[in-house]
Amino acid sequence: MTGSTHAHADAPHHPVFVGKVREQLDALFPKYPTKQACLLPALWMVQEARGWISPAAIAEVAEVLGLTPAYVRGVATFYTMYHLHPVGRHFIQVCGTSPCHLCGSDEVLKAILGATGCGELGATSADGRFTVVEVECLGACGFATPVLIDDDFHDSVTPERVAGILARYP
Amino acid sequence: MSDLVNVTIDGVQISVPKGTPIIEAAKQAGVLVPHYCYHPSLPSPAVCRMCLVEVEKAPKLVPACVTTVADGNVIHVNNDKSKRARESVLEFLLINHPLDCPICDQAGECELQDYTFQEGRAGTRYSDYAKRYNPVEDFGPDVLYVANRCILCTRCVRFMDNVAGDAVLNVSERGDRAFIGIDPDHLLDHPWAGNVVDLCPVGSLISKDFLHKARAWDLDKTASVCTGCSQGCNTMIDTRDDVVVRLRPRPNLDVNRHFICDEGRADYRWMNRGDRIEAPLVRDGAKLTPTDWDHAVERLGALAKTARRVVILASGRASTESLGFVRRMVDGATVTAAIKVPLGPEAPLAGVPNLALRKERVPNLAGAGLLGYGAEWPAAVAAVKGADLVVVLDAVLDDADVAALAGAAAVVVIGTVDDDRLAGATLILPSTNVAEENGTFVNRDHRVQRYFQAKPAPGLARPAWWIAAEATHAARGLAAPATAAEAFAALGAMVPALAGLSYADLGHTGRVVSPTTAGAAR
Ligand code: SF4
Ligand code: SF4
Ligand code: FES
Repeated sequence: MTGSTHAHADAPHHPVFVGKVREQLDALFPKYPTKQACLLPALWMVQEARGWISPAAIAEVAEVLGLTPAYVRGVATFYTMYHLHPVGRHFIQVCGTSPCHLCGSDEVLKAILGATGCGELGATSADGRFTVVEVECLGACGFATPVLIDDDFHDSVTPERVAGILARYP
Repeated sequence: MSDLVNVTIDGVQISVPKGTPIIEAAKQAGVLVPHYCYHPSLPSPAVCRMCLVEVEKAPKLVPACVTTVADGNVIHVNNDKSKRARESVLEFLLINHPLDCPICDQAGECELQDYTFQEGRAGTRYSDYAKRYNPVEDFGPDVLYVANRCILCTRCVRFMDNVAGDAVLNVSERGDRAFIGIDPDHLLDHPWAGNVVDLCPVGSLISKDFLHKARAWDLDKTASVCTGCSQGCNTMIDTRDDVVVRLRPRPNLDVNRHFICDEGRADYRWMNRGDRIEAPLVRDGAKLTPTDWDHAVERLGALAKTARRVVILASGRASTESLGFVRRMVDGATVTAAIKVPLGPEAPLAGVPNLALRKERVPNLAGAGLLGYGAEWPAAVAAVKGADLVVVLDAVLDDADVAALAGAAAVVVIGTVDDDRLAGATLILPSTNVAEENGTFVNRDHRVQRYFQAKPAPGLARPAWWIAAEATHAARGLAAPATAAEAFAALGAMVPALAGLSYADLGHTGRVVSPTTAGAAR
């Protein structure tokens, strides 16, 4: 997800599965019994390349894997980790599960929402830089509050550390 | 037989073939296992858990729709344990259900309503929580999706995917946010898509055509056969106050399983037409005079007896009985008989072998064939010139056909709808349409199938077989059948393939007869 480009919902769709990405996908096929089984990785590739999965990209994935767009959409909407709307250049996930909550994740979240300019959960900052969401357990309860920015893991985040961390994500 | 297993279901002992799902075995024992996702014409995903039943010695309840019977199984569908499971499933389903039965078209034929009434909780434990809300969506030409009522059984998704082969529906999102999604670039416009409305066990997928037209308990239901094409799908005619308001599929595993096509489904408005011929009209010099049947059949009999060259122009919707007796009425003459067969594109239902909306858009092509009616319409129209008598049996004529009628010495119209262009006829006799009579059609696989009278005939209209048989009786003294059953039984004398067959033999799903005139009934 690092370095994902910000895209608009109405931008024309340029195929994802060409060149390198196509080769990546083709290399996966022999590892699975059916093309359909490559659906989840294929969706990841789209998200990696475009930052989100547009309806046009869903149609492309369907075409490439011999499925129907409706089927692909059903699967894509099942998993919360696929973005079906454009998100900021950097995607921030803050843990809000009980242990972190007890250790003050609320305050961390508030600080991040303020510092990024996002204001509310799920919204993208006006400069297109950040989108913030709250997630359930990131599996690091001993390091409350953990924050995932793109693929980078930050542990023991406190409101005071927020500004410094965000500065690393232009 | 070794491939039979013995099981006991709610105390009833039966033997069923190995591999039978419990739910089907229970049916044979006369026990209904409440269910939602299971449908005999769809693959079973076992997602709704409504069909959980207790099998003695099994560690927990099992889904009856996918669990096959084993020899010696003792199964309880209606004991406390199974009932409690169903009660819980119903409680879950109702957490978000709007309970808008008073404005829901499904009310009265809703499986959620029925099972809840039968064995659900009387009250809710969730009254403090707001229900999930989603707007109604337009899914296609005749389908609306009321998401709030959906119980996510996925029957509709599986029908489009596994049966229609046009997977435009999906389950979107998950958990309590889940709903049925449709590909935004597609509509539910597959030629068989309307079946999702029937498959939906609740009022979630509803027909725009039927929207708020009638309450289910005000409908009268009559077994019929679709007149849309030569496939001969079995249908149910729903009437309200003697007006046909809806056609639905009637199961026949050998013909249409549980489905009908959208074209057939929509093809009922003509049955309600008000511009009907209501009394026999006979020509006296320049004008047509209304008269009674005694006089009318006498005139018809006299015409038929003396005519030496006769042409019959018939509708492919005429019953086998009517085609037979009209043909017999002119026995002895040189007869050219044909039915008009409109053609259209074929539209198969991929998942069911030998089921398609057929090119030939008439229901009784094969029946007409058995009785000596051809499908060479232009040749029959050409033969009108110089004929002594033309019998128009409810055929829909175009202007060229009507113009050709002038070449015949006499024209008799036996028909349903009043047609000004035929005012020059010698006799105009009112007949009943498919919804107003009992009769049979023979489908393309030579299956003879019965349809039943769904509403009263207008005015003095009579089945065409009755009119023709009475005329023959008047002119030649041949016995006339009094009922459609007698008329059908008498067809055996005209068509060897039908010999010895009675309505009772046909039942509700029909009988295949040999297409050759020599053969007897199978
Ligand atoms: S719309 Fe009807 S058939 Fe489809 S999943 Fe919902 S309840 Fe089942
Ligand atoms: S396939 Fe033919 S017989 Fe069946 S419903 Fe359609 S029109 Fe009627
Ligand atoms: S009918 Fe068996 S689980 Fe749905």
